[in-house]
Amino acid sequence: MPKPTNITFFSINMKNVLQWNPPEGLHGIELTYTVQYFIYGQKKWLSKSECRQINRTYCDLSTETSDYEHQYYAKVKAIWEANCSEWAETERFYPLLETQIGPPEVALAASEKSISIVLTAPEKWKRNPEDPTVSMQQIYSSLNYNISVYNTKSKRMWSQFVTNHTLVLSWLEPNTLYCVTVESFVPGLPGHTQPSQQCVSTLKDQTSTLKVK
Amino acid sequence: DPGAVVPAPQNLSVHSANMKHLLVWSPVILPGETVHYWVEYQGEYESLYMSHVWIPSSWCSPTPGPECDVTDDITATVPYRLRVRATSGPRASAWSALKPPFNRNSTLLLPPRMAVRKDGSHLVIELEDLGPQFEFFVTFWRKAPGAKEHAKVVRSVGFPVYLGAMEPGAVYCVKARALVRAIARRSAFSQAQCVEVQGEALPL
Amino acid sequence: SLGFRRCLISVDMRHLERSFQEIKRTLQNKDVFQNVTILSTLQSLQGIKPIDVCCVTRNLLAFYMDKVLKDHQEPNPQIRRQISSIANSFLHTQKTLQQCEQRWCHCSQEATNATSIIQDNYDQLEVRAAAIKSLGELDIFLAWINKNHQETS
Repeated sequence: MPKPTNITFFSINMKNVLQWNPPEGLHGIELTYTVQYFIYGQKKWLSKSECRQINRTYCDLSTETSDYEHQYYAKVKAIWEANCSEWAETERFYPLLETQIGPPEVALAASEKSISIVLTAPEKWKRNPEDPTVSMQQIYSSLNYNISVYNTKSKRMWSQFVTNHTLVLSWLEPNTLYCVTVESFVPGLPGHTQPSQQCVSTLKDQTSTLKVK
Repeated sequence: DPGAVVPAPQNLSVHSANMKHLLVWSPVILPGETVHYWVEYQGEYESLYMSHVWIPSSWCSPTPGPECDVTDDITATVPYRLRVRATSGPRASAWSALKPPFNRNSTLLLPPRMAVRKDGSHLVIELEDLGPQFEFFVTFWRKAPGAKEHAKVVRSVGFPVYLGAMEPGAVYCVKARALVRAIARRSAFSQAQCVEVQGEALPL
Repeated sequence: SLGFRRCLISVDMRHLERSFQEIKRTLQNKDVFQNVTILSTLQSLQGIKPIDVCCVTRNLLAFYMDKVLKDHQEPNPQIRRQISSIANSFLHTQKTLQQCEQRWCHCSQEATNATSIIQDNYDQLEVRAAAIKSLGELDIFLAWINKNHQETS
């Protein structure tokens, strides 16, 4: 019986989900899967009860791999009736260097000629909502943001990298729609997820309204 | 003449600018024969601890021309020994070694090319992409007596970078220099480029 | 580049990370002893105080330069190219580290213990296995350097 394929960790903000493809050539057959994980340097493979004989092709191992300074392996095997495949194993997974950083939360406030941008750093995954929040900034001190601003009227865009969380764009054109895209960025980390994008319009120019009167 | 000795390449030298390093030598002429060249390198680590180890160059093992881009081989700021030999069919020349060894901290750093633009009231620049090791130290100022000079380190290249907001009716100037931390050096400043912002001063 | 607290030297971090990323899978797949680690005795490395960063860095560079890289024989030309790049980068870092050693590279007992644990771990394995494992754990050392420095502005 062939093994599951393409077994990898998919990690964003330390939410570490193991995912895989079904074994080749067994489409349409009702398979189940069992997952185990291993902490590099420890002694034995460990099971996760919620991922024993499951139908889905993913298993959330965030809790089991929450110490991001350790390294891990995981493996999965396919089961069909009395048959089971060999284990398919991941590469060594190092959350600290392999997680992707999600975009920050972005709050925009516009006036006639300016837009103020307030960023909130993405949060590390947490087991329970009541657990204390850990910002990704606390883990990666070199976290910074690439802010791109697109003027929908002039069809022009420019960018800038910032490390602080507040920014005021001044001397903008009144009554104009601006779209702001923000990406998180840590030098040395694998890339980043989909940026967050929001658009806001600057207010009408009050001086021109006065002239009209 | 199949028995003739293949002469070793002569006049090896490295032309290096903006962290791009080109090894060149005089071609070996063997009438009626096709000559190829093989380039190998050794970092200071190999010279010190494993002097028998020579590593084939990334792009020139072999190469037809009397030059070799060794940029991808020279990846640390230590002296590198480089050597070349010529081959014609099964016959090979002796190795010719570059003397003295090459260190990338001797590269010629040129001021960066830069496009300065205004987008409405915003001062925007675009810098040429010189590779991952480059950063740019950009200064900009309003052309007026006593005006303060602002500075910014820019790492992104190849797309417009926002410098600051400009007041209507003013002239703003920008200049930039390249920084390469890996060799702890920087280029001279580029020529200053100025732009003027249309529009009258704000009504009271 | 990166400064080690009060000992400002340059490490071309991005290039080192790219070089290691190219060979990580091959090196780690050759390491068959998953239940043993050399560098990731994290307790000893995570607890290093800022004042000891320079000393531990110097000791770990020496560990790689004088032991690991010498004990490892690499047949694959592509892997050898990347290992040469890493070795020469470490050599450059060692040289610049030497310039500030007298005044800033203080070694506390804790720092000395931390690197002795790593040395002991290495010596418990057969030498070729120990060398391949240590090379496969370069990401731990690079992440430690990244975390314990301030990017020089």
